[in-house]
Amino acid sequence: MSTKTRVPTAINGGPFGQAWSARADGLQSLAGILLGAFLLVHMHFEASILLGKETFFHVVQLLEGSMFSSTGHGFQIVTQIFSVFILVLVVVHAALALRRFPVQIGQWRALRGFMSNIKHKDTRAWYWQMITGFVLFFLVSAHLGTMILNPEIGPHLSAERVYDGHAWLLYIVFLPVVLVHGIIGLYRVILKWGISSNRPLIRKIAQILIIYLLCLGSLSLITYISIGSELLHPVQPFMPK
Amino acid sequence: MSRQISFNIFRFDPQDDQDKPKMERYQLTETDGMTVFIALNQLREQQDSSLQFDFVCRAGICGSCAMVINGLPTLACRTLTANYPDGEITLMPLPGFELIGDLSVNTGKFMRELAERLKLWLHPKSDDQDMHRLENPMAPEEAARIYELERCVECGVCVSACATKQMRETFVGAVGLMKIARFEMDSRDNRSADDFYHVIGNQDGVFGCMTLLGCQDNCPKDLPHMKQIAYLRRKMASTIL
Repeated sequence: MSTKTRVPTAINGGPFGQAWSARADGLQSLAGILLGAFLLVHMHFEASILLGKETFFHVVQLLEGSMFSSTGHGFQIVTQIFSVFILVLVVVHAALALRRFPVQIGQWRALRGFMSNIKHKDTRAWYWQMITGFVLFFLVSAHLGTMILNPEIGPHLSAERVYDGHAWLLYIVFLPVVLVHGIIGLYRVILKWGISSNRPLIRKIAQILIIYLLCLGSLSLITYISIGSELLHPVQPFMPK
Repeated sequence: MSRQISFNIFRFDPQDDQDKPKMERYQLTETDGMTVFIALNQLREQQDSSLQFDFVCRAGICGSCAMVINGLPTLACRTLTANYPDGEITLMPLPGFELIGDLSVNTGKFMRELAERLKLWLHPKSDDQDMHRLENPMAPEEAARIYELERCVECGVCVSACATKQMRETFVGAVGLMKIARFEMDSRDNRSADDFYHVIGNQDGVFGCMTLLGCQDNCPKDLPHMKQIAYLRRKMASTIL
């Protein structure tokens, strides 16, 4: 065998079928699907601010388990626990995805050379998924860190964090990056495991979803900034009439 | 009226220590129904006898004339020059293979090593050598399924169109996985899922595929790479999980 295709397989005596290869691939996809699904619902929950402060307030209370509270208010610890769970999922997903990263200069050179010589849309999409994945590790950590340490969510408290706390600077980058990464990821995981083989349809849905969620998220962010700019200090939590 | 078309062709002789990789430009008068393969033969006959490229069948059956044409790896004999309205055609050798010279690469050496590595031959269920015994008939549906994958001409396009393969030389690529799928579905083959896991159940096999889909999009025979690799991934994962 030449060095070009020399591999550690049963043929040349090295390690061969590795049980963890299947588990790692499955676990990476599973964590990705869970995170992608969470992204879809999260975008809609936080967009409930578009329906008014009261709607957003009730959505937050419901998600924080208001039905289990004698006062009718939710528990902030629910947000903290869920944020920790999501952070664990992100870490697991990222650690497993690192297997795919080109870790050597030669691999980067090969990838750049390949992309300059061969034009292929899906390879280009993966390239951007990889770049956004790297950036996300920092952005998601910052976002979830805030949610764990400062879990107050509400029409006024969230708007205060976005406007006065300058979190909009984070979200304006976070929003397109997480959508590109998450939706392309869902598209590829569906094809990867053969959940559907109707690729043109899945690609079209993915494109529409990215544009739709980008619009939804941008409108929500503008609304939070608008509410935040009108708040009187010290900021009082919103209470429905 | 015939038009003039231009060819930018990669030139390099790795056997010559003094030679450096370069692009050379050629002009040619286009004729009706001209393919890149026909044009290359004219160039070699009329303008530059040192031009190296491979061909055997000129009918998309042998897979020898695979090269990168204007950024897409494909077969020269199945590519009409009329597909390029501006008359500019750039030809590069397939990346990822040993270069013989100019547009000629050694796909044969790669395919042989791959076959030895993955044991790409039928492992019969019976070692009965009685020539007078009638073979078991095969269901027409099964024969059709196997024939669908037997259409692979080993041109190497899927390997060259795969960024994963370019970054990780030890990755088997779509051609290896397709051939494993072909034997996996053959009822005459004695190997179990465990046996196949033995050779492709690792990061260099089916769990190293990142579903970039360059193989699916560029295969000149339109083979169902995406579907078969997804099938193998599920099959291999289910043997472990």
